Amino acid sequence: MTANPPTTHDGRRARGYLAVFLALAAITAIELVLTQVGLAASVANALFLILSLAKATLVAMFFMHLRQDSRVYTAIFLLPVILVLAFSTLMLMSAGGH
Amino acid sequence: MTSHTIPHDDDFRAGRALSLDHRKLGMWLFLASEVMFFGGLIGTFLHYKATLPAPESALLDTVLVGLNTFVLITSSLMVVLGLDAIQRGRRRGLITFLGLTALLGVIFLGGQAYEFVSLYGHGVTLQSSVFGSSFYTLTGFHGLHVLIGVVWALLTLVKAARGTCSAQEHGGVEAFGLYWHFVDVVWIVLFTIIYLI
Repeated sequence: MTANPPTTHDGRRARGYLAVFLALAAITAIELVLTQVGLAASVANALFLILSLAKATLVAMFFMHLRQDSRVYTAIFLLPVILVLAFSTLMLMSAGGH
Repeated sequence: MTSHTIPHDDDFRAGRALSLDHRKLGMWLFLASEVMFFGGLIGTFLHYKATLPAPESALLDTVLVGLNTFVLITSSLMVVLGLDAIQRGRRRGLITFLGLTALLGVIFLGGQAYEFVSLYGHGVTLQSSVFGSSFYTLTGFHGLHVLIGVVWALLTLVKAARGTCSAQEHGGVEAFGLYWHFVDVVWIVLFTIIYLI
């Protein structure tokens, strides 16, 4: 046992949370800047979706602890997400056909 | 083989053999049902967005809502720092961070109320158009979830103040945290599909 292992470890954990927060804040700022730049809609939409996915993944993995928790929790959460994505994609495809 | 390597039937029934915590498992199952709930609303919004013109969307204030997004992300940081504090046995830290979480949640709701009043002033109501109906339903239900989260944060704060949370027993804080972060994730998605694309 080291002299003070819990404090050292936990301090690192809090710094990790802060790093994730800064990444989330930076991505949000980038999104706001991108709305002011005249990008083509298709490029902008793809970028926004990728950035949104990155933010959601960061929150789920680090703030909701899916990264270190049982994979059962990840499976429970991902299954409906996949179903919703498939449902939305199919619906948008059918909407595009009209 | 010893009894240590083969889990007992009771362990399987209690979920311990899978290293699962009952409260956490229940929370994740609830969140899975919430994914389907918001998925239906998001799918509806996207369908109408793709098929019907929505000139009202030009009235949306992306910068104001972007700041509100920042507020919600900050509140998520407060929740994890609160959980971190109680895991280290610092009850005062948990109380402070839960208070800040509730405050940031109220600020978010204030921003949303301001947006609703502003849009209403421009004639965008629940009945005015399909955009109005789908917009208010989607963001309104999210706001309701934030409101529930604020109440939950305050109840958890009261429990912590009464000394029922500790470094060993903080499952309630963890369950609240999962709910709050989920509400944050939903907003990240809503911000993108309503205001950005």
